[in-house]
Amino acid sequence: MDATILVPVGLGLTVIGAALGIGKFAAAAAEGIARQPEAADKISGAVQLPLFLLEGVAILAEVFIFLMLILQ
Amino acid sequence: MVASSTDNSGLTVLEQVGPNIIHHVSNSDISHPIVHIPKLFGIDFSITKHVFMLWVVAIIVATVMIYPIQKYVKSNGKEKSRWTIMIEYIVEFIRDAISGPNVGPKWIMTWTPLFLTFFFFILFANGIGMIPIFDLIGLIDRFIFQTSPDSFINHLLHGGVTATGNFNVTAGLATITFFAIIVAGVREHGFIKHWKNLVPHGLAWPIYFILIPIEIMGLLVKPFALTMRLAANMTGGHIAILALLSLMAIIGEMFHSAVAGIGVAIISIPMSVAISGLEIIVVLVQAYVFTLLTAVFVGMAINVHH
Repeated sequence: MDATILVPVGLGLTVIGAALGIGKFAAAAAEGIARQPEAADKISGAVQLPLFLLEGVAILAEVFIFLMLILQ
Repeated sequence: MVASSTDNSGLTVLEQVGPNIIHHVSNSDISHPIVHIPKLFGIDFSITKHVFMLWVVAIIVATVMIYPIQKYVKSNGKEKSRWTIMIEYIVEFIRDAISGPNVGPKWIMTWTPLFLTFFFFILFANGIGMIPIFDLIGLIDRFIFQTSPDSFINHLLHGGVTATGNFNVTAGLATITFFAIIVAGVREHGFIKHWKNLVPHGLAWPIYFILIPIEIMGLLVKPFALTMRLAANMTGGHIAILALLSLMAIIGEMFHSAVAGIGVAIISIPMSVAISGLEIIVVLVQAYVFTLLTAVFVGMAINVHH
């Protein structure tokens, strides 16, 4: 019962955090486009960058956890 | 996978599945390269599977892209083929939606070729990774030609097909982004002012002690994230597909009957097809994301608007 049993739990928590963040972002973007359909392009453009940075955070966490599992 | 396994050394299927999947996704071993090239300056330049795929993708992209575009340019706009029209649609999309709003009208013609190169290279490299051509060649070789295990065809079977699934390849692409950001900033603002633009001006002076290390770390983390995002997305999809396909062998081993394994194929193969469909979407999206983020980072170096 060493500490490596908690590594997949950490991965699951990271994925939950990233999914919640991306979901809130997508919801805000959808609401903004619903209020002002003319600004659809600008809103999409503004939302894309934080979206992919957040996805990158989730993937970085996944990579580090994979490394931890491999190097144990 | 069937054709490339050379011996079943008495391990159970469950023990063989893991290393088999890893071998199918990662690069071939440097000690058994496809073409052996001696060491230059201490670096082994032998051609492994991913290096071979890089050259194949580069040749395919060059012939498929450069030749029709040159024909179009030399004939002064009398485009004949539908393929040129499709290339033109993608080029205009990248120029107007990715390059223009981020880089600004002054530098759009300087940086759009770089973004286009990134987009088409990553798109083709990811897409060719989805085609199991070497498995097919291995299957034909195993049952029809039966060449020796040392032949060129059998050497081609070790390792994965997706060149951009290797984080060294994507690290090379991200290094180009890193230097592109510096070059863009230096050309617009001058050498010293580009580095001064890292942090916003007009803040109280103690904040700079924390802000400057954070910004320098951000300078390095952004290309690192580009690297890992592309590499992890490409290998992850392939590992999922291979794990589902291995389910047939695992169930066959667990119940000690081949019929059970083939019966699982009713679940396993449609799910693999579905995930392959998802993979195609991921291929397109990851090429787009890499290009978009490169354009955004270059644009942030040119138009500093903290």
